[in-house]
Amino acid sequence: MNRAVIAFGSIAFVGLFVSLAQAQAPASSDDNLTAQQIVTAADQVRNPGKPFRLTSTLTEYIGGQAKDQVVLVIYVREDQTTKAYSNLVRYAAPPRDAGKLVLLSASNLWFYDPSSKASVRLSPQQRLTGQASDGDVLTVNYSRDYTATLVGRETLQDAERKNCDCWHLDLKAATPDAVYNRVEYWVERGTYRSVKAKFYADSGRLLKIAYFDKNQDLLGGVRPTETILIDAVDSNLVTTIASSDYRFQEIPDAWFQRDYLPRLKDE
Amino acid sequence: MRRLAILAAGALWLGTPAFAAADENNDLNLIPGAAATESSAAAVVAAAAATAHGKFYLEDAITDSSQRSGLVVPYPAPPIANWQNRTSLDALDTWNLGADLSATLSNRLNLLEENDFNIVSRQTVRNDFREGYLTWEPLARNYLDAGRINVRNGVALGFNPTDFFKTRTAVGQASLDPSVTREDRLGTVMLHDQAIWDSGSASIAFAPKFYSSTPITDSSRLGIDPLFDRTNSADRLLATFGYDIADLSPQALVYHEGNETKFGLNLSHPVGQSVIAYAEASTGKQRDLIADAIAYGKKTAVLPSSAPILPSTDPVARFRSDLAAGVSWTPVAKFTVNAEYHFHQAGLSGRDWQNWFATGAAHAGVPAITKELWYVRGYANAEQEPLTRQEAFFRADWTDAFVTDLELTAITFVDLYDGSTLSQLTAQYYLSDAWTIGGYLSANLGGERSERGSFPQAASATLQIDRYF
Repeated sequence: MNRAVIAFGSIAFVGLFVSLAQAQAPASSDDNLTAQQIVTAADQVRNPGKPFRLTSTLTEYIGGQAKDQVVLVIYVREDQTTKAYSNLVRYAAPPRDAGKLVLLSASNLWFYDPSSKASVRLSPQQRLTGQASDGDVLTVNYSRDYTATLVGRETLQDAERKNCDCWHLDLKAATPDAVYNRVEYWVERGTYRSVKAKFYADSGRLLKIAYFDKNQDLLGGVRPTETILIDAVDSNLVTTIASSDYRFQEIPDAWFQRDYLPRLKDE
Repeated sequence: MRRLAILAAGALWLGTPAFAAADENNDLNLIPGAAATESSAAAVVAAAAATAHGKFYLEDAITDSSQRSGLVVPYPAPPIANWQNRTSLDALDTWNLGADLSATLSNRLNLLEENDFNIVSRQTVRNDFREGYLTWEPLARNYLDAGRINVRNGVALGFNPTDFFKTRTAVGQASLDPSVTREDRLGTVMLHDQAIWDSGSASIAFAPKFYSSTPITDSSRLGIDPLFDRTNSADRLLATFGYDIADLSPQALVYHEGNETKFGLNLSHPVGQSVIAYAEASTGKQRDLIADAIAYGKKTAVLPSSAPILPSTDPVARFRSDLAAGVSWTPVAKFTVNAEYHFHQAGLSGRDWQNWFATGAAHAGVPAITKELWYVRGYANAEQEPLTRQEAFFRADWTDAFVTDLELTAITFVDLYDGSTLSQLTAQYYLSDAWTIGGYLSANLGGERSERGSFPQAASATLQIDRYF
């Protein structure tokens, strides 16, 4: 069970690009925006407006060699009141984990294995385990949970080593729901394309480095389809999350409860 | 540093970006070359996997056991097998037959070899027809299921008082870990209706009686027998209702069988970042385990109708309760510990255990008596309920232990009257996406007059390999 639980933690960063990186240029000049307004604007354009699904392939590299690969089908819905994301995740691969499900909805976290018909409730810590996880941003509203400061403008290389004119933002946790104490975040000016983020523990230790790549026009906006995660604690560990098959889909609230898990159909 | 900051601020004011610190771009050197080029390949993998269905695997498990001699209460013939090899083909899949109709099949075909039967015998081939049912969704999130269905309830790991359909459903498994043994259990033929709405759900299941009660073990039956008599020997009704309040995920249950009704409740709640507290309980009128076992033995003619209740106990059905309460704690990433307390009021108390050993020791040479005493223990095992009234259960799971893809699991059941334990250490290594190799070491430890120390099987070792498709 636990191995699958750990793998699902990786989808936190699938949400990361959904939540951090789906920014588009606001109508007004971005030079006049404060840091908090930039984050707020990013939050406002983050959600495609309707529930959607995607398929993500997580490939783990150890010492530069691809080791494990997990394929997840993820159903995403934003609560219109709380602005928090709820997610339903189905394992499609590897074969030993096929069909397993994870529900991530606020503190309502469940793992379901169709082989044993067992639903196991998970703690937030279990949600955070995993090489690529260390931060749950699927249910985070950044403008609500973090206070942003504009560090400045910087020229930064993106994942393809192209120079980008970026805003460098410093996000500090402002609510208990904020998973990370601090996030450094680089957003390309003009396009509002997410380029890079760094995530810090309460101790100030750097935990993860994320690069956002392969931008495509999806679900009505330009969004990165690949996230590269570097484990800053053990830099031998790198995970790529490549996503595809984005689709709007009707996803009722009723899906996000334990008893629905056995009913989610393969499609 | 201050000078750099001034320069950066100046650049910002002038509308010209400063160059990021060199360290920022050095992070790119940590990205493997292969990672930068594999996204298209990953998309192909994703597309193939996302359309795949079901779970299919081939498993071989070879087990060697050591037996105790000189038991205080001699174990009746036939003895427990010393070794077994099991080769299983396991399948679980669901097919959509239309927009609102689907079919589910869950089955395991086993080829068995043991030291206690011939290589070609009635027991050589055993088929575990776990589930086979149709699901119809006439209205959105209203489901009607019909067929053999494994309906499982309960939030605890080691004992599930609210898992009312668990009795006599267990079939052979290499592992003693409850989370594994549940993977191969028989469903019950039933009609099951469930409605799910935004914040809750309700269900009702009716399992009709097709057969009279049959003996808990019968080696004369063909291994391909679907064993409907195990699961459908009484009319049974189960209603459940769940509605999330106070982040407790409560589920209430009402179960009716024969003339008796039981009530159950499941609760769970996160405590801080790393703990989940959970509890499940049931209560209802029932006989205690000894009286119930003897009555069942007489009903199925395994025990003579004149057999006394041994050890002596209260034969009257009274309100008795079951409880499993525990916590799941994840102190650090990839390591989770569960600790549970189990209370099974119908089970054997400390005095019952003393009587069990005293009666058995005094009549060690009387097979009719020792058979009856061991029958009580076999009955509890078939019912999948604790034999003892109070026990503790611990489970620890460590993923990526020492090396990547190695998972270690340890479980132990502790009899709180005598301190004896049933323990198992499991190591599983994920060789690849398709192959897993595992090993199990199990032991019954305790004094000769303890629950576990009196069991004939002292220890066992299992080597298991799985190939997934």
